[in-house]
Amino acid sequence: MNAKVFGVELADELRGIVREPAALFFSIVMPVAFFALFVSLFGKLGSGGLSAGTTMLTTFGAFGVISVVLMNPGIGVAADRERGWLRAKQVSAVPIGVTLSAKVVASLPYAAGVLVAMTATAAITGALDAPVPALLRILGVLLLGALPFALLSLAIGFQVGTGAAAAVLNAVLIPSAVLSGLWMPLEIMPAFFADVARFLPTYHLARLALAQLTGAPALAHALVLLGTTIVAAALAAVSYRHARS
Amino acid sequence: METVLEVRGARHDYGATRALDGVDLDVGAGECVALLGPNGAGKTTLVNLVVGLLPAKEGRIRVCGGDPRVAATRRRLGVVQQSLGFPTTLKVGELVTGAAVRAGVPRSAAGPVLAELDLTDLAGRRAVKLSGGQRQRLQLAMALVADPRLLVLDEPTAGLDLTARRRFWQLLAQRRERGTGVLLTTHLVEESSAVADRVVVLGRGRVLASGTPDELVARLPDRTVIARTALGRTRLEALPGVVSVRADGEHVHLGTRAPEALLRVLLAEDPGLADLRVESAGLAEAVAGLVERGAA
Repeated sequence: MNAKVFGVELADELRGIVREPAALFFSIVMPVAFFALFVSLFGKLGSGGLSAGTTMLTTFGAFGVISVVLMNPGIGVAADRERGWLRAKQVSAVPIGVTLSAKVVASLPYAAGVLVAMTATAAITGALDAPVPALLRILGVLLLGALPFALLSLAIGFQVGTGAAAAVLNAVLIPSAVLSGLWMPLEIMPAFFADVARFLPTYHLARLALAQLTGAPALAHALVLLGTTIVAAALAAVSYRHARS
Repeated sequence: METVLEVRGARHDYGATRALDGVDLDVGAGECVALLGPNGAGKTTLVNLVVGLLPAKEGRIRVCGGDPRVAATRRRLGVVQQSLGFPTTLKVGELVTGAAVRAGVPRSAAGPVLAELDLTDLAGRRAVKLSGGQRQRLQLAMALVADPRLLVLDEPTAGLDLTARRRFWQLLAQRRERGTGVLLTTHLVEESSAVADRVVVLGRGRVLASGTPDELVARLPDRTVIARTALGRTRLEALPGVVSVRADGEHVHLGTRAPEALLRVLLAEDPGLADLRVESAGLAEAVAGLVERGAA
């Protein structure tokens, strides 16, 4: 029964995004536009045996995926809570986990779309030099690694209004992206950035994606993301229990 | 008569504040029970216990014999909230079909209930484009699609015009005839008097009174003296025979069982008394009186 209900919940979420795509449009267009700008300027430069455009696919790709999964579920749940729709779901026979999972999963096709658009941009500009299996691994790693950010998004969405959710989530996203070197390589930033970055899950997600190209050790990054997922899940659960109605 | 809702000794606290204190309540199959009381009386808390949103700190809540916090029990429960905002992107038909699947019944159950509530022609319209009355009918359709044994209605007709209200209750009457029990919370006391079989008055988390609307009216003032007066509330409450005082714009409504004595004192004390009339007291005065007694 839960599979059928999940199907209905997912269909409702996807309809919502397709019929009113404006909110998600910006979280897709902005990262892709940034990527297109940087890859056209610096994409063909070399960096550790890889073209800068290919490396940027992991950093900007991480930013793009995080942008979609961080903004969409949190703002959605805040809106549902404000309009009483979340309460309607809570008093139905549907386990709330099914409803929230559908919100997260519904954003994944769009996150994948961001990555496909970036890959296409890199290829068109001649800055892509990675084999398809490696690109598929990057896609898998980034989508799976987005889970803690989706959970954090839900935790915030349970506590603040729709307008505030967008502001708070952006306040989390933008500094994390800058400090983690998702926009500009940490190598050209002040050392302080690299010192802070190692404490940020955004950094570890990008490094895990990059490891799919370089073969660098990935276990530490995966463990940090796993730990972040556990903490974010606990935060989301506590936030749900104390959600403002 | 089968009991579809049984509440026994329900207690709930918010921190140090006791919101419900040993409430007992039953709703039988096909019966409509109205829950009345002022803000803070515990109505919302009780409803949240009944629909499974809150656990009772003490006591027992059973919907058709099951715990409402269990999903299988909630399938037998339909809820209509006050002013629910629907997602802006979903259409009427999609919402009712979705409600059917969520409640574990076939999608095909949506068609008959859409027809029953005159929503078939609106099935392709986005819910946010509906009028207030249509939205409440849509909520009712979503609540009824799984043929629940208990309906919980939280201020279901607030903001609706008289025609829409009548239509709402007509549609519900058909379901009640088929055995659906109704727990209704409302501030529209006279409406509850018209549609409810029994009324339960809550005050400070306790049941102050329970009975048919006629029984409650019989317990308290049988006349209401309405007037414009310069006398203050404290003085009015102290007048002989006054059981309840309710302000209504420029007028006050004084519930009493001795209207003649009250009128003599009123006329003597307030030479400027105006718009004076005496009416039979209704349920509103009875509830006001019960709440005041409970607060005393």
